[in-house]
Amino acid sequence: MRNIILVAKREYLEQIHGHAFIISTIMLPVLILGMLTWSFIANKASTAVRHIVIVSDNAELGHLTRNALLSNIGGRLTVDVVTPLTSNNMRALEKQVVSKAIDGVFNIDISSSGDIESSFITRPSEEFNLLRIETAVNRAAVRMRMITHGLMPDDVNLILKKASVEAYSIDKYGQRKQIKKKNTFLKPLIMIFLLSMPILLYGLDTARAIIEEKSSRIYEVMLSVTSPDDVLAGKLIGVGAVGLTQMSIWGGSLALLLASSLFNVRPIGTFSVQLTFTEGLMFLVYFVLNFAIFNALFSGLAATCETAQDLQKFMPIAITPLYVSVGILPILLKDPNSKLAIVASLFPFTSPYVMISRMGLELVPLWQVAISIGILTLSSWIVLWLSSRLYRAGILMYGKRTTLQELLRSLRYS
Amino acid sequence: MPVIELAGVTKRYDTKVAVNNLSLSLESGQILGLLGPNGAGKTSSIRMMMGITIPDSGIVNLFNKPFTRSSLDRIGYLPEERGLYKQMGVLDQIIFFGQMHGLTSNEARLRAFFWAERMDITGVLHKKTRELSKGMQQKIQFITSLLHEPGLIIMDEPASGLDPINADLLQGVLLELKRCGTAILFSTHRMDQVEKLCDSICLINNGIAVLAGTLPEIKGAYKRTRVIIEFIGSSAFLNSAEIEKATSCYGRADIKLKSHGNAQKLLLEAAAVATIEHFELVGPSLEEIYIQTVKRSIVA
Repeated sequence: MRNIILVAKREYLEQIHGHAFIISTIMLPVLILGMLTWSFIANKASTAVRHIVIVSDNAELGHLTRNALLSNIGGRLTVDVVTPLTSNNMRALEKQVVSKAIDGVFNIDISSSGDIESSFITRPSEEFNLLRIETAVNRAAVRMRMITHGLMPDDVNLILKKASVEAYSIDKYGQRKQIKKKNTFLKPLIMIFLLSMPILLYGLDTARAIIEEKSSRIYEVMLSVTSPDDVLAGKLIGVGAVGLTQMSIWGGSLALLLASSLFNVRPIGTFSVQLTFTEGLMFLVYFVLNFAIFNALFSGLAATCETAQDLQKFMPIAITPLYVSVGILPILLKDPNSKLAIVASLFPFTSPYVMISRMGLELVPLWQVAISIGILTLSSWIVLWLSSRLYRAGILMYGKRTTLQELLRSLRYS
Repeated sequence: MPVIELAGVTKRYDTKVAVNNLSLSLESGQILGLLGPNGAGKTSSIRMMMGITIPDSGIVNLFNKPFTRSSLDRIGYLPEERGLYKQMGVLDQIIFFGQMHGLTSNEARLRAFFWAERMDITGVLHKKTRELSKGMQQKIQFITSLLHEPGLIIMDEPASGLDPINADLLQGVLLELKRCGTAILFSTHRMDQVEKLCDSICLINNGIAVLAGTLPEIKGAYKRTRVIIEFIGSSAFLNSAEIEKATSCYGRADIKLKSHGNAQKLLLEAAAVATIEHFELVGPSLEEIYIQTVKRSIVA
C-alpha cells in the first residue's frame, strides 16, 4: 500500500506541475467564459432599441398592433402609428428606413372582405423575429374583432388572458415529479461533458505516458522495487486525483462566479441548471467508476503498444461510448424510460453518461441505479484485473508490436 | 551463506532459449562478473534475479531463501539503460526511489546529499533529469540503486556512458562497498574492469555457462605460454626453436612459446646474446581467455 501511495503521489505531483494541467485548467474555463461573453455581446447588440412605424388606414388596428408588439417584444422597441395609409407616406417612410432614421415600416389594413393584409419592410442587415411580429398582428386583429362585436376592453383582456400549464410525471409508487420545461437538453450535455473530459484529457495522457516510460525502461527499475499491480494502481489513483482536482477547481470557480455580481447580468438569459445532493453524489460515484474503467483499460492497452501511433487504433474504445451516449440523448429526452435508455444506463461503458442524464430528467427507479452501479463496479474490477495482467506482460515486451496471440498467452501466464 | 544463488535456471522466449540451466552463486563481500557476448543471456539472467521475469524452471534464491518480492528491498538494481523519470528533479528522483525501498523521506534526503557529494553531482541536484548528460544520469541511477544500503547490488553494464574519471570513481565506490560486505554482481564487456574488480566470473554464451570460477582458478587453468623480455643488445634469440611467434620493438619482445616450449632455455639463449633487463612469464589475459572460450563454445 505504501508503494501505491508513493507512486500515486509522484504521478499526481508530476501531472499537477505539468503544462497540460495548467493549460487545460485555465484554458477550458477561459474558453467557456469567452463563449458566454460573446453570447452576452450578441444579446446586447440584439437588444438595441429599434424604431418601427406602423402605417394603417385603421388607427384603432394600428394602435392595437402597436400595443401587442410592445408587449410581445418588450422595451427594446419604439413603435409609432401613422395614418392614413397613402403611397406618399409609404415612400417617405421607406426612404427613412434606407437612411436608417427608422428600422422598419409596417403597413397594415383591413380589406373589404374583412381580411387583414400587412407587409413589413426593413433593411437587409436588420434581423426581426417575424414570428413574433405575426403573433402580435394576429392578437391585435382578434382584439379588434372582439371589440367591434361589442365586447368591453376589460372582458377582452379576461378572455385573452394566458393560461399556464405545469406538467408532472408519476411513477408506479404514485410519486410525482415536475417535468421541467427549460434546459432539459443542457443538463445532460453538461454532465456528459464533465464525465468525459477528464478521460479524454488524462486517460489518454496516462496511456501515452505509459508508452513513453516503457520505451525509457523506467518500468524495469520500478518492477525491481514493487509489483506491476502496485505501479498500475498508483498511476490510476494519482491521475484520478488530478482529474478530481481539476473538476474541483472548475466547480469552485463556477460556484464563485455564480455567487458573484458578475453573473447577475445573466448573459445568456434564462440559463440555470440545478443539481440535487443525490445527483451530485451519484455524479461523483459514476465519475470515479467511469474514470477507473477507462483509465485501467487504456493503461493495459498502452502497455502493449510501442508508439503513440499504435495507441490510435484503440481510440474508438474511448470515443464510441461517448458518441453513443450523446446520440441517444434525443431518445432519452423523449422517453427516459425507453428500453434503449434502460439498457444503455446498465451497460458499463455507457452507463455513467446515460444514467446521469436520465437522473437529471426523471426519478430513476432505485433498483436500476443499484444494478447499474453494481455492474459498473464489477466491470471496473474485471477491467482492472485484465489490464494489470496486460500491463505486467506488455511493459516488458520491447521492440515489437504485441500480437493478439501473445496478449492472450500473457493473460494466461501472468 | 550465498546472497544470491541460481540453480538450473532456464528461460525460453518462444523457440529461443535465452538462459539454459544456469547455476551460479555469490557470497557477501564478493564481486561476480557476468560476462558474455551480446545476446548471450546476461540481461535475461539478471531480470530473473530481480523477479522482473519468472524462470521457466530452476530456482532463484536470494539471501538464502527462495525469491520473494520482499527481498527486493535488500537489493539495488541498475539496469542496462537509464530508467529515470525525465520530468522529475534529480533530488526528488533520488528521494522517491529511496522511499520506494522503504526509507523515510528525511533519511532518503540525507543520504541523497551524502551520495551527491561522494559522486560529485551536488551541482545538479535541483535540475530536471532530462537536462543532464547520459553519464550524469548514469551516476544518478547508480545512487538510486545503493541509497538504501542494499546487501546485494546487481548492475547491468554499470560503466556504460561514463568517462574514465567517472568510471574510476564508480569502481572506487564498488570496492568500498565490497569491503563493507556488500555482494555485487555486474555484467560488462570491459575486461579491464573485471580484472580490477571481480573475485569470480561467470561467462555465458547462448544462455549456457561456458566458464565459471574465481579469477585465480580460471587463469591458473591456462598454461603460461607468453614471455615478455626487455633487453639491450642482439635480438638473435628470437629465432629460438622454443618460440612459436614473436614481436619485438625498441628492446621489448612479446613472445608466444610453442606448446612444449621451455621458458628457461629461452632465457639462457637470450642472456647469451643480450643483456636481459626484464623477463616475465605470463598466462593469457582475461580478454584472450574470453575470446578463446566463446569461440570454442561456438564451434562446439
